[in-house]
Amino acid sequence: MILELQGISKRFGGLVALKDISLNLDEGQILGLIGPNGAGKTTLLNVISGSLRPDNGYIRYQGKEISKLSSDRRCQKGISRTFQISRPFSKMTVLENVMVAAIFGDRSQKQEPPRDRALSALRFVQFSIDENTLAENLNTVQLKRLDLARALASNPSLLLLDEIAAGLTPLELADLVGVIRHTRERGVTIIVVEHLMRMILRLCDKIVVLHYGEKIAEGTPEEICQDKRVADAYLGENYLL
Amino acid sequence: MSTGGSHRWVVLSPLSLFLLAVLSVLPLWVQDEYLLQLLISSLLLGSQAMAFDFTAGFINVINFGFSAFVGAGAYTSALLVLHWGISPWLGPLGGAVASAALGFFSGVLTLRLQGIYAAVMTWFVGLTLLSLTASLSGLTRGYRGLNVPLFLETAARRPYFYIIFGVTFLTFVSLRWTGSSRVGLAFRAIGQNLESARASGVNPTKYRVINFTLSCAFAGLLGGFYAHFLGILTPDVMHSRQTVEVLALAYIGGRGSLWGGLVAAFIFVPLFEYLKPLMELRLVIYGVLLILVMIWCPGGLAAIYTQLKQQVRWPFMQR
Repeated sequence: MILELQGISKRFGGLVALKDISLNLDEGQILGLIGPNGAGKTTLLNVISGSLRPDNGYIRYQGKEISKLSSDRRCQKGISRTFQISRPFSKMTVLENVMVAAIFGDRSQKQEPPRDRALSALRFVQFSIDENTLAENLNTVQLKRLDLARALASNPSLLLLDEIAAGLTPLELADLVGVIRHTRERGVTIIVVEHLMRMILRLCDKIVVLHYGEKIAEGTPEEICQDKRVADAYLGENYLL
Repeated sequence: MSTGGSHRWVVLSPLSLFLLAVLSVLPLWVQDEYLLQLLISSLLLGSQAMAFDFTAGFINVINFGFSAFVGAGAYTSALLVLHWGISPWLGPLGGAVASAALGFFSGVLTLRLQGIYAAVMTWFVGLTLLSLTASLSGLTRGYRGLNVPLFLETAARRPYFYIIFGVTFLTFVSLRWTGSSRVGLAFRAIGQNLESARASGVNPTKYRVINFTLSCAFAGLLGGFYAHFLGILTPDVMHSRQTVEVLALAYIGGRGSLWGGLVAAFIFVPLFEYLKPLMELRLVIYGVLLILVMIWCPGGLAAIYTQLKQQVRWPFMQR
């Protein structure tokens, strides 16, 4: 088991964002995290990546308690993430953006120079723009790809993807699914937060459904599709499965 | 230690080498002591602007107490020379160490805070240093002024020009080199997006403290040279209005460029000197200029230069 959450709660003032969430994740799995807007998906990612501290509960990663670690330490230990809204280093080139993670996020392998590792991460996500372009000149879709390359450059064992498919064309989406599958084949465990059911169902081994900060269902894609509560709470008539 | 593009290890561009070369031979023609004095003042303020920009332009923390660190270096150097009898040539090194230590401790205390709080705390540190210097009059002679031994016996300005030019050159090259190294990449990442920097494995507090300490070390070094060049120190060197002037030069020059502040100093220091009646309004004019730069050209002179470079293909520069 690579990741184990036990009784995670997080409140923002009076709002309960996460309520007693527990979940286990095996190595090499792709977990889909779904739920309506405001269900607490991003909050849960933030808790796992370390940018938010939970009020209760513990997080165990590769058998070790990591609740007290800062997000930069967690990145170095192999938990990396993308952001729902890309946050590039806008005055740096594409290559420099990725190199930050290759240099500071990856403390394991040192044989290959960071520049090469950054370039291969860019190639891996099929980044087609000149790597000397300033990040501020990229569009949203390119920025998402850059963010993914940055997250991969730190050589993660656990990758958290926050709505990375938003705004992609069907063709780009197919590419992305390919990239995510390839990433898993390299032994990376992945958590995907996404609204696109088709993508989630195609990609994930396991799905967790959040609703108002609570976990209301967990199972394989087939089980989730047949779950009555999930259909009531979330899928509704707008989602044709 | 190179970070990116193929020629990043070349610290100085041909143009900056050329300009520095011109500057270094300038005193061979300039005989006028007054003009030389102006050049020295520009160098001193310009290199302070570079050291300031190393923090403001890279990690995006504004050190409102900057001049207090310059002053701390100046007083340390002066007192070391006066009381321990060490050579004025070594004094500024002591000043650099003292300011670096001060910078390190105030950095550890303040730089855990987010942007504006860190800036306010640096201001308080500066105010504290200023009042300490003023009130410890047994040691510093307070506002009566401390007479400091000069570097040289001579009153001629030209040797001093070369001393200060050397320090400016050292400041520029060191800051530039650090800025384009791996550590510099961490600085810029933190300054441009804290959250992404963390998510990329950069420890913000650590690299902020490293950056702040380095900037303060250079502030102290420059302060030391200022002391033994001027020959007299009052607590006024630590005043926030000095910081504001340095800040204005750095911002007008272009944040994060380092060299912009030096170029701005060579424009504005002589300008104000020639427009003597405006001297009193100096800070007002800097204020207005700052607002204009913020609105029309946030990248300052450096951004204008970059635009020019993209439009005009200079014969000796290859992009």
